[in-house]
Amino acid sequence: MTDAKKLQAEKLTETEAIERAKLGDEEAFHILYGLHKRRVYSLCLRMTGNPASAEDLTQEAFLQLFRKIATFRGESAFSTWLHRMSVNVVLMQLRKKSLPVVPIDETMEGEEESTVRKEPGAPDGRLAGAIDRLHLQRAVDELPPGYRTIFVLHDVEGYEHNEIAGIVGCSIGNSKSQLHKARIKLRELLRMNRAEKAGTGRTGKR
Amino acid sequence: MNCQEFESVLPDYLESGHTSEQQAHLSSCSSCAGLVADLNFISATARQLQDAEEPSPAVWNALEIQLRREGLIRDIPIREVVPACSSSLLDFFRRRRTAWLVPVAAALVIAAGVKLYRPFGAGDTNPVARAVAPAPETPANSGEDERVLSTVAARFPAQQANYRKNMEDANSYIRDAEQSIKNDPNDVYSQELLINAYEQKQMIYDLAVDRTGEQ
Repeated sequence: MTDAKKLQAEKLTETEAIERAKLGDEEAFHILYGLHKRRVYSLCLRMTGNPASAEDLTQEAFLQLFRKIATFRGESAFSTWLHRMSVNVVLMQLRKKSLPVVPIDETMEGEEESTVRKEPGAPDGRLAGAIDRLHLQRAVDELPPGYRTIFVLHDVEGYEHNEIAGIVGCSIGNSKSQLHKARIKLRELLRMNRAEKAGTGRTGKR
Repeated sequence: MNCQEFESVLPDYLESGHTSEQQAHLSSCSSCAGLVADLNFISATARQLQDAEEPSPAVWNALEIQLRREGLIRDIPIREVVPACSSSLLDFFRRRRTAWLVPVAAALVIAAGVKLYRPFGAGDTNPVARAVAPAPETPANSGEDERVLSTVAARFPAQQANYRKNMEDANSYIRDAEQSIKNDPNDVYSQELLINAYEQKQMIYDLAVDRTGEQ
């Protein structure tokens, strides 16, 4: 049974769970955690690429959430509030470790970095049908941290460029540019991985 | 439009749609069409990563411990707990996830001694199955317990019996657990019960204060 169905079965809405959590009800905390743990943990894991760090950050994100839950008034969706908090927790951690949140170095590189002319593969070698979620997951983990942050926030989490600009502290144009480069880099990684698996070693452009 | 020109506008193409010129290029260039298809596929597949992973149970366990340490978890909502208290305390213990308390209890009992866990000066009685030595017969609450019960009785006469019963049950469990630990200092189960019993008694006090504070 999914978490949502469990909630329904217990006739307890998320709003009710939030109100009960404000009173200190353990079960309410547990329900809220159960509803959002996968999303938060997956976000932390994708942005750090490290399961142990992701678990620590997940714990920290929920802890911050529960400490502040009494102040939640419902102006925004609870999930929005939580996920924004989680992103901030992860970004703070990345900054502590001096990992680039915004890929400044990559931005300075030539635009040819992102062009198709370097792409290996043939016209009939499209990724659709050849790769799945797990392949993409591994490729995302291989992205440079800066690219990874923008890609995860936009393509995985669904933030808009103006939101990302506010979150990570870059311009909207920079966010768009880095997202494009991240996607191009992912395509390159996926095609290389596929070529290696096929044993062809094909790297040239069609 | 050639490939280089198309690539220069590709981010905008993906974000905001296309012009007829760009579409014409895509129709005639399999390389650029493949690129667009791949990037769209990557973007679409990315959403599947949104909740793809599950954290280990250790995350909730650690979180729960921290929430308790900070007093954010109070176990049962205030307005729902009084009727619930009328059921057996054993049921209460069974419902709760208290495994994390075992090492804490063990450490506290070993380091500080059982006597430190008698802040309320509980009386003796009410034998329980796990007690090795016979316990005294008469239930007794401490003077402090009686003062709290008197306050509850004065303001909420209907709840007096519930509070008294719960207080006596908590004291009974405390005495039983203490007796068991006295007989076997390594009895982890009893150490857990002791901590639980004191938490339960503390909660009864908290509830009494909260309710009287509501008036």
